[in-house]
Amino acid sequence: MDASIEVHGLSRTFHTTVRRPGFTGAVRSLVNPERVAKHAVTDITFDVAPGELLALLGPNGAGKSTTIKMLTGILTPTSGHARVAGVVPYEERERNARNIGAVFGQRTQLWWDLPVRESFAILRDIYEVPKAEHAARLKEFDDLLDLSSFWDTRVRHLSLGQRVRSDLAAALLHDPPVVFLDEPTIGMDVVVKEQVREFLRHQVTERGRTVLLTTHDMTEVERLAERVVLVNHGRLVLDGTLDEIRRKFGSTWQVRATLADAHTEVAPLPGIALLQRTGPQVVFGPDGPDAPTVHQALKAVIEHHEVTDIALDEADLEDVMRAAYVHVEEV
Amino acid sequence: MQSLRIMWRITLLNFRAQLEYRTEFLLMVAIGAIWQVSVIVFATVLLARFTGMGGWDSSEVLLIPATRMLAHALFVLFLGRVHGAGRQIQEGRIDTYLLRPMPVHRQLQLAFFPTNAIGDLTVAVGLMIGALSRSELDWTPGRIGYLIAAVIGGLFLEAALFTALASASLRFPAADYWSYWLEELLGTFGSYPLNVLPRAVGGFLTYGLPLAFVAYFPVAVLTGHGHDTGAPYWLAAASPLLGVLAYLGARWLWRWSLRHYSGING
Amino acid sequence: MAVLHAWRAARVTPLGELHTPPRMTAVLLRLTVQIVLVASLWHGLYADTGTTAGLDRDQAVTYAVLAVLASRMRELDQYAGRDTVLQHMHFGTIVYWYLRPLPPQRYHALRALGEKLYGFAWALAGYTVCLTAGVVEPPKSAATAGVFVLSLLLGQLVLYYVLLVLDQMCFWTVRNNAAMLILIFAQNLLSGVYAPLWFFPGWFVTLSAFLPFQATLNVPLSLYIGRIPLSDAGLQLAVQAAWVVALHLFTRFLWRRAALRVMSQGG
Repeated sequence: MDASIEVHGLSRTFHTTVRRPGFTGAVRSLVNPERVAKHAVTDITFDVAPGELLALLGPNGAGKSTTIKMLTGILTPTSGHARVAGVVPYEERERNARNIGAVFGQRTQLWWDLPVRESFAILRDIYEVPKAEHAARLKEFDDLLDLSSFWDTRVRHLSLGQRVRSDLAAALLHDPPVVFLDEPTIGMDVVVKEQVREFLRHQVTERGRTVLLTTHDMTEVERLAERVVLVNHGRLVLDGTLDEIRRKFGSTWQVRATLADAHTEVAPLPGIALLQRTGPQVVFGPDGPDAPTVHQALKAVIEHHEVTDIALDEADLEDVMRAAYVHVEEV
Repeated sequence: MQSLRIMWRITLLNFRAQLEYRTEFLLMVAIGAIWQVSVIVFATVLLARFTGMGGWDSSEVLLIPATRMLAHALFVLFLGRVHGAGRQIQEGRIDTYLLRPMPVHRQLQLAFFPTNAIGDLTVAVGLMIGALSRSELDWTPGRIGYLIAAVIGGLFLEAALFTALASASLRFPAADYWSYWLEELLGTFGSYPLNVLPRAVGGFLTYGLPLAFVAYFPVAVLTGHGHDTGAPYWLAAASPLLGVLAYLGARWLWRWSLRHYSGING
Repeated sequence: MAVLHAWRAARVTPLGELHTPPRMTAVLLRLTVQIVLVASLWHGLYADTGTTAGLDRDQAVTYAVLAVLASRMRELDQYAGRDTVLQHMHFGTIVYWYLRPLPPQRYHALRALGEKLYGFAWALAGYTVCLTAGVVEPPKSAATAGVFVLSLLLGQLVLYYVLLVLDQMCFWTVRNNAAMLILIFAQNLLSGVYAPLWFFPGWFVTLSAFLPFQATLNVPLSLYIGRIPLSDAGLQLAVQAAWVVALHLFTRFLWRRAALRVMSQGG
């Protein structure tokens, strides 16, 4: 089956005028403006299969939103090409619009002055969704997102969580096969976040929608995404599974042990380094590219030393990403 | 002293911020001027067409828009940010102001520099000079003093009206809607001898929406029409004082509303 | 289906107002006070004057009151609905206009249509009350009434396009408050909202004849009160129609440029 989203060599450059400091600088800028090219996205290539949820990750300003804007047809790429559900988004914006749903973080597309349900009705007519279908889908969304408790409230009076849930529903009411979510759960509480994740999972597994998600919430990535694409400075850094990322950047486990004999010599083990020692307390960490996994290391430590207590710290995804971002900065 | 210095420095910064966008800056100055010129055109057009308006000589009538506009321009310059405070309230900026160690009202006033006041003031001064040169009144020190008091009183009265509306906006952000109408009413009906209007309407503009006190009453007293305004002479004569009192009252209302401020959108 | 989305988009404003009764009360109060004030002002001004600038008292009062009523067709608190181009640019929500299978220009036009129809209901109600109370005069003849309706319609179209240009400017600069204020002000002054254009000096009237603003209000109102005779109506209607066509082409061009701009900046 063809990919739902195909991105090939996509690049986007913005041109801005730099202002020179001081008065003479201001005058010079007026006469001879200095134009600078900013490469927001450079040569990005990836695919998303139908029914797949892909997390697009990267630090702030990495080019995630720019990529999403090109895929939704709002922005034309400088070079490269993209296809979303078989349509080139920036060439056939309106045709693409029928195939996609999008939520941009805290920006709402709902009508501020009207009850939420009115916004749904307007969108139903704009997307030409048959009434019965609309009602059925609204029922489904209500069961998952608990919309009916507030859908007669005007948008201006909704809480953030209620509004984002409404926005999610609004973006999916026309049954788009492809969904773009740019930081959808930003600023929401744990309960609502969980509700939204459950909803997204349902939409992917039960409805077979393709979802491209950007987020800074690693719990979300862990719960939802099997595959991630990591970008930084506009370039694709890694395209792989969470396990691959972990393997590449996340081998930062530590084994803390208390030795039975405080004075015993600690012999080196292959791939395991002694990081610290204070009396009987020792800390081991991975050493070199062929370091064992945390579980192998645990086993090795117990086999080679007599310990009275042992504990392990495995880096969570957040640490892994931090390592990945920093690693990319250094490269 | 310290707070004065801070206010001065913030004002300078605001002014420089406005200068950053030069076209916008010049346009804003132009706006103030065009707006006021139009009022002048309007007033003079009508003065030329309808002589002897309300039994007043046209040189006397001219003093009304001159006084009103000067008071208005000074209001915009010194206290004008209360007009449009509703916008700041709706954007939730009051919450930020409440966190800072400076009176909220002062922070509201220091939000930006009123560039259009430059245009307003230039035209208003021009009109006042024109009105005074045409005036056949004997400008004794007493009259001049009263005129200055009237301008200051008008400034405070306008500030009082907008401060009251801003206080209401703290509770009902939609009250901002009324401030645009208020400005329009002050602009259009503040420039005539109000005795051309039916008694009931004149009464409304005196006791309901007190715009008669801004310029009409003081000028009537100055030009000797003080007894034909439909209001008691002492009341008309006390206009400048009433303006100051109204402003003090409005500030009290503002403080009270701020104590009962419960934020916007929960 | 196209009718359906048209209906939905058009009723956004009326619905928003109906959901906020205080706003409707405010409109009613403001309209009433404004009409009483304007009518008494012109009555007062004409107290010692017969006919000036070709207008007698009743004509002037009718003109001024109708101008207040006509302005009601757009003087809604548009910002309350957060659906202006300016606000969408400010909040970054303009992207959604370009994410829907409905062209932004059609959505904008439909919203404006709904707004105008809603305003027209107010204006019509106000007009009926004023006519019954004798504040305004009825049109001189059925022909005058017909020409007035036609001219009013064209005038509203011109007005829509003028305000559309203002909205479109927001695509290029959000910091254009000053320019916008100038245009709004020009619209009010040169269309006769502040005072009938006939009172202004000759050069001013000539100047305004070359601008689209007088076509929005001054022409229909002058036709109504008979200041522009029926024999001249054809020419005036043609001028209005010409403005409609010219502004339509110009705004269509601007919509295209705006879309290009959004597509190259990303909203």
